[in-house]
Amino acid sequence: MIALGGKMIPCYTVQRNLACIQRIVGGVRWTSSCRPAPLLTASPVRALIDDKISIRGHFLPPRCPVTVCAQMQSDDGDLWEAFAHFNTNLDGTVNLTRDPSVGGSYLGCEPMGLLWGLQPAPGAEKKKVETPYVMLMSLLKGHVSPSERPSTELAAVTAERWYMAPGVRRIDIRQNGVVGTLFLPPGPGPFPAMLDLWGMGGGLVEYRSALFASRGYASFSLAYIGHKDLPGPQHRINVGDPYFKSAFQLLQDHPQVYRDRVGIIGLSFGVYLTLRLANHSDIKPSCLICINGPAGSNIKLADADGRTEQMENDQKYWTYDDQGTVSFRAVSLPANLSPESKVELDHLTCPLMYIVGEDDLSASSIENANLIEETLSAAVKSQLFTRLSYPGAGHLIEPPYTPNSRASLWSVKPQKLVTLWGGHLALHAAAQEDSWKKILEFMETNLRH
Amino acid sequence: MDMKQHCVKLSLTIHALHQCEDGHSWEAFAHYNADATGTVNVSQDPSLGGTYSGVEPMGLLSNLRPVPGSKTGLRWRKMNVQTPMGVTISVYQGHQTEGFLDQVLLASVVVERWYMAPGVRRVPITEGGLTATLFLPSGPGPFPGLLDLWGWGGKLVEYRAALLASHGIASMALDYLTPQMTKETGRMVDIDYFETAYRVLEQHPQILGSRIAMLGLSFGVGVTLRMAVYSKGLKLSCAVCISGSHVQPIDGPLEQMLTYLNKNAYKMRSDENNQVIWRDLMLPIPTDPSLKVDMGRLQCPLLLVVGEDDQNWPSSESAMDMKEMMERAGNSHLLTVLSYKNAGHLIEPPFTPFTRASTTKTDTNPPTKVMTLWGGELVAHSRAQEDAWRKTLVFLRENLYGGMKHGASFSNL
Repeated sequence: MIALGGKMIPCYTVQRNLACIQRIVGGVRWTSSCRPAPLLTASPVRALIDDKISIRGHFLPPRCPVTVCAQMQSDDGDLWEAFAHFNTNLDGTVNLTRDPSVGGSYLGCEPMGLLWGLQPAPGAEKKKVETPYVMLMSLLKGHVSPSERPSTELAAVTAERWYMAPGVRRIDIRQNGVVGTLFLPPGPGPFPAMLDLWGMGGGLVEYRSALFASRGYASFSLAYIGHKDLPGPQHRINVGDPYFKSAFQLLQDHPQVYRDRVGIIGLSFGVYLTLRLANHSDIKPSCLICINGPAGSNIKLADADGRTEQMENDQKYWTYDDQGTVSFRAVSLPANLSPESKVELDHLTCPLMYIVGEDDLSASSIENANLIEETLSAAVKSQLFTRLSYPGAGHLIEPPYTPNSRASLWSVKPQKLVTLWGGHLALHAAAQEDSWKKILEFMETNLRH
Repeated sequence: MDMKQHCVKLSLTIHALHQCEDGHSWEAFAHYNADATGTVNVSQDPSLGGTYSGVEPMGLLSNLRPVPGSKTGLRWRKMNVQTPMGVTISVYQGHQTEGFLDQVLLASVVVERWYMAPGVRRVPITEGGLTATLFLPSGPGPFPGLLDLWGWGGKLVEYRAALLASHGIASMALDYLTPQMTKETGRMVDIDYFETAYRVLEQHPQILGSRIAMLGLSFGVGVTLRMAVYSKGLKLSCAVCISGSHVQPIDGPLEQMLTYLNKNAYKMRSDENNQVIWRDLMLPIPTDPSLKVDMGRLQCPLLLVVGEDDQNWPSSESAMDMKEMMERAGNSHLLTVLSYKNAGHLIEPPFTPFTRASTTKTDTNPPTKVMTLWGGELVAHSRAQEDAWRKTLVFLRENLYGGMKHGASFSNL
């Protein structure tokens, strides 16, 4: 009901009057005709983030220009958009699995292009994994930009994209001083498991773990910097080796985790933590996955007494472009890493997969991959090493069909900077799709057999 | 559904468990042998026994039935369409047939099945004295519209309309046997009630008034055919009639249909299990033209869906009679009949539990509970539902969306 001049009017009456006015004015909407609007379908309408979706338009005029656009709202309320231009087939259909985009956020035939092509708001990522991303997909008349949606929209469909499958359980862990979130698949277990480590952005990044659990693995996202439940000032790492060991053992000891099948995955600084943790004689992971990170560090973890050091040392390696965007790449060049911090890998007993984005502008991934490969080769352990290398991919190689940004806001006290991740859109998307598949295969081989 | 294990040549039971809105538990299970890699693929591998056998990709859903010890005469229906049907699918070692809760569970997943796609809007309608719910697809429209009628037992049954809206058709589920109006006046609604419903659809700003269909099941078929042929107030693009008949007194109010049925109530009989068969009430198909809808006057495409083992309505006999009438009148090109051997009365959207008989309340005073026999054999009926639903969607799309002229462009329309 709408209140209009003090009188209550049923909403649809008002809508009907407005629609009549539109028709009288001979409005822009061609839909005031004797034909229903065309149909836009998406299948499946509810799926996991790493599932493919088939988007099609039907009952359109043949050989006509149309735009398909996708809109998604992040948890912070920012709006992300992608669009692609098509020409309909002779039978009046458009099918993103079959047809090439001739303009817009991506070109060529890319069934998932509207998803990975979404341009995100700076710094946006999904923090609440228990709710889906709601994608609104629209079919627009002509080759237009999404800003013209209100006057050109022909049809729409809504799809939900989930990080958590039905039945997956999310559990806050604050135990033995360890801060993290555990995701368990449905069912009794025991499940093979992954310890999930992210970079210096800090906080708790849960979505990869949620997806692992949706694929049958218990997964534990661990916080180690920038979290209110961790000791000390949030801009420093105030935990040390004992913390990471406790976390691994906590996961192993969980009644629903199969203790002999626990792996570790790390991205960025998380790679250093992964390698360091695996180096302990009493920590025996079943496999390691390292994405775009260093084998050593100038940042010291807290010592046994919990003392930490400042982090300013690394700033001398920061480089800036003309727009003041900073690249951290040189920080992790092997030559710039403190020699005693470089992780010894001679004692490694499990397979290690290293994933390189060749356009990584945040870490010296290629050089570190080389370093690790050489170290293992010297220890006659090359058979443990697998490298996946992706041209044109940047630093943040994440689960597929999600937006990627070449740069974003980086909150560093005292100033806020924009940092460069690297990566070219379509190439980075292809890297995410392929690497995710190979990550899951690697996990299956090492954690299930 | 795939299931991987590290052991080889394992005999396994896959079990589905669902708790419905009334709190009853439903289950299905099947016995499989894993292959050399320890994999079972329900879409491809045969079940060796259980509640179904053979290759049945959707068998765990279509074969759900009340767990042992449940009340008899249950019928599965989802009345709240805004939440999903949750099914827990589990794997047990060995070939089990009972006591699943006490067995060692190897693994399980949870599956959600929805009637409403994201973005579909549910709008209660009380305008014009209607008791109805309208489901609108996502998007600006205009959408073709559909009036959805169920049968005996009344109530506002929303799931089929919700599903149709999820496929792009603005659909209105209409309660016409137990609406608010009847509760207040004690009288059955008449033709003008349906004409009001049609008008609400026609005038809705997001619905294309020139593309409206009607879908009726059981008693709803009689209403649909009557409206399609005789009502001056509406013009249907097409009609779908499932498990019903054209037999009814066509002069006078709709209430007369009830009188006609009551008059013939003596023809009701029971089978050896005391399950009530109502199909004879309208048999034999009358020759008197005042007792059946004049199908020769139908002007829109009609899809008839018929279960040959329908024990509730004489749908097969009625379909045959309707076909003859239309052939004589020369409009049989409008008719498509889907006839399914061993399918029963309740031909509904697929992959939901099958009911051969269930408890219904009679409208005597006081009302009594009887076991009504709907008919149908599980496997044949499940296949019929799958096939009929797919063909119904194609039929509706062709008639409501289709008809695009070659060479049309946006500006021509």
